[in-house]
Amino acid sequence: MIEAKDLTFSYGKGKQALHGLSFTVEDGEIFGFLGPNGSGKSTTQKILTGILKGYGGKVSLFGQDASAAHGQGFLEKIGVLFEFPYLYANLSAVDNLHYFASFYPKGQRRDVGELLHMLGLEPNFWKKPVSSYSKGMRQRVSMARALVSNPRLLFLDEPTSGLDPSGAVLFRKIIEQERKKGTTVFITTHNMADADLLCDRVAFISGGRLAALDTPKRLKEKNSNHRVVIDYLVGGQRKTKTIGAPELEAGIPFAHDEIISIHSQEPTLEDMFIRYTGRGLG
Amino acid sequence: MMGTGFCALLKKDCRMLASGRFFLMAMGFLILYTAYVNLGYVRFMQMEPYRVYLYDPAGTQEEKQPIVQEVPSLEAMNAALLADANGVGLDAGTGAVRVVLYAGAEHIDQHRADYALSLLRPPAGRTPEVLGTNTPEQKARKEITCELLFFELAAVGFLGIAAVLFKEKGMGVIRVHAILPLQKELFLLSKLAVFLLCDLAFAVLLTLLNIGPADGAAVLPAVLLQTAFLSLVMALVGLLCALLLKSFRQFTLAYLAIAVFAATPVFLSANTSIKFDWIGYHPFYHVYIGLKNAYFGEAVSSAYYAGAAGVIVLLFLAVRHAFRREIGKEG
Repeated sequence: MIEAKDLTFSYGKGKQALHGLSFTVEDGEIFGFLGPNGSGKSTTQKILTGILKGYGGKVSLFGQDASAAHGQGFLEKIGVLFEFPYLYANLSAVDNLHYFASFYPKGQRRDVGELLHMLGLEPNFWKKPVSSYSKGMRQRVSMARALVSNPRLLFLDEPTSGLDPSGAVLFRKIIEQERKKGTTVFITTHNMADADLLCDRVAFISGGRLAALDTPKRLKEKNSNHRVVIDYLVGGQRKTKTIGAPELEAGIPFAHDEIISIHSQEPTLEDMFIRYTGRGLG
Repeated sequence: MMGTGFCALLKKDCRMLASGRFFLMAMGFLILYTAYVNLGYVRFMQMEPYRVYLYDPAGTQEEKQPIVQEVPSLEAMNAALLADANGVGLDAGTGAVRVVLYAGAEHIDQHRADYALSLLRPPAGRTPEVLGTNTPEQKARKEITCELLFFELAAVGFLGIAAVLFKEKGMGVIRVHAILPLQKELFLLSKLAVFLLCDLAFAVLLTLLNIGPADGAAVLPAVLLQTAFLSLVMALVGLLCALLLKSFRQFTLAYLAIAVFAATPVFLSANTSIKFDWIGYHPFYHVYIGLKNAYFGEAVSSAYYAGAAGVIVLLFLAVRHAFRREIGKEG
C-alpha cells in the first residue's frame, strides 16, 4: 500500500526534517508512526498525503509512484483525521459532513446519520452548530469526516486525543472495524496504549530518522529481561519474589500457601521508545 | 464531480457570509447610501442660487440681470447678509464693484464672487459650452452614486472576503481542503464568484435606486463591467492579505493602509479643488475614472482593460501561491 525508500525532506538550508526514511505499510495493516514533537511525523504524513512536494527518495502509494499517485483519484481513496478537529463551527455536524462528502463520488459516500450514530454523537446535537460541541464531540465529527468517503487508506493523527476513556475505546473499535473491511490505517500518535492495542507494526521516528520498526510485541520481547514478579502468601506472610520466566515451566519453584499475582517485567512500548531514540514522547 | 464540488463551495461560502451578517451589512449600506443620495445630497444640490444684493446709489450697473436685488444702503446690505449668510453683496457705491460677504466668512469665496459679478453682465452674446446631456440633478446623482459605489467596492467589500477567510483559517478547515479531491483553485474561485455576484447585485440596486430605472439601465452594462474589475481586484487583495497575515488584528492595520491608499487621494482629487500632479500614477485613480466614465457614457481605453485584466491575473497567481502555502502549514 505504502512504500517509502530513502525519503528525505528539507524546509530550507539547515532545516533537514527527514534523513532517509525507509518503510513499507502492507494492505490492510494498522501501522503506527511514533515520535516526539518535531521528529518528522507530520512531514512524512504530509508527503504521503500529497500536501508536501519536493521531497527526495522514492514514495509509492497504491502501487504507483507518488508523483503520479497524488491526483484527484488518489485523494478520493484516502481519509485524513487531523490532530485538531477542523470543522466549520457555524455549521452543524450534518451540514459539515454533507459539505465534505460532496467532493467524493456519490456511490462512495457513507450515510451521514449512520456514521454519526456509529461515532456516538447524540442525535439532538446533529443539527446544532459545531461551536456548541465539546472537544470530544468535535473529534467524533472529525472522525466521521475522515470516514465519510469510505477510504481505502486512512491517515489518523492522534485519533483519541480529546476523548474520554469510553470515547477512546469506541475509536479503537471503529479503527479495528475499518481494518476488518480491508482499510489500511496509518496512525501517528503519542499515545502508547493506542499504538500497543491497535497497531500491527510500529515505527519509532526521532530527528527525522527511523530508530526501530517492528510489531509492538516483538519490540518488547526483544528487550525483555524475561523475569516475572510473584506476590504470594506463606505462613500468613505476604512476600514478593522475582524469578526468570523459564523457571515457571516446572511450576512455582518455591514454597508458598497462596499466589496473589504474577507480573511479567516486560518493558512497555514507551520504555522501548526511549531506549531506541534516547528521548521521551512529550 | 467538479460542478457538484463548486456548488458545494458556493453554498458553503454563502452560508459563511450569511452567518457573518455580510449580506445584512451590504443591505444596510445600500439603504444608507440611497437615503443619503435621495434625502440629503440631491436636496442639497437642488438649493436655490445664491442671492445677490447690490448697493448702487448712482445706478452704474445698467446691464445687471433681474435676479439681482438692489438695496438702498450699505446698512441694508449688511442686514440682508446677516439674515442670509450664503448671499453675496456687491457694493458699487465707490465706483469699482466690491464684493461683500457675510462678516463671519473669513475668506472670499471666489466661486460665489464670480457668480455674483457675472450677474452684472447680460447673458446674451455668451454661448455656454454644452458638457453633457444630463440635467444638473442627474449629473449630481451619477457623480455621488459613482463615488459611493467606488467606496463600497474599494473599502468595504474586501473587508468581508478577508473576514470569511480569516474565519476559515482560524477554524483550520482551510487545511482540510488540501486533502479533498477538488481543484484547489475552485476554493478561491467560489469566494471570488460569491463576492463578485454580491457586488454586481449591489451595483445594480444602487444604480437603479439612485439614478432611476431608465438612465440606470442605460449605463448598467458599462458600470457592471467596471464594478467587476474593481470587485475582483479588491477581493483578490482581501484574499492575499488574509492568507499572508497571521491575525485579523494585523489585517485591520493593513486594511486601513489599503483603504486610505485606494480611496482617499481619489476622493480628494475628484471632489475638491486640490489637484495632485502625481494622481495619474495612482492606479485606483484610473479605476475611479473608469467607473465615472461608465456612469457618464464615456469610452474607456483598451489599454485600461488590458491593464486591469493583467492585474487580476497576477493577483490571482499570487493568491493561489499563498493559498497552497497556507494549506500545507502545520496545525
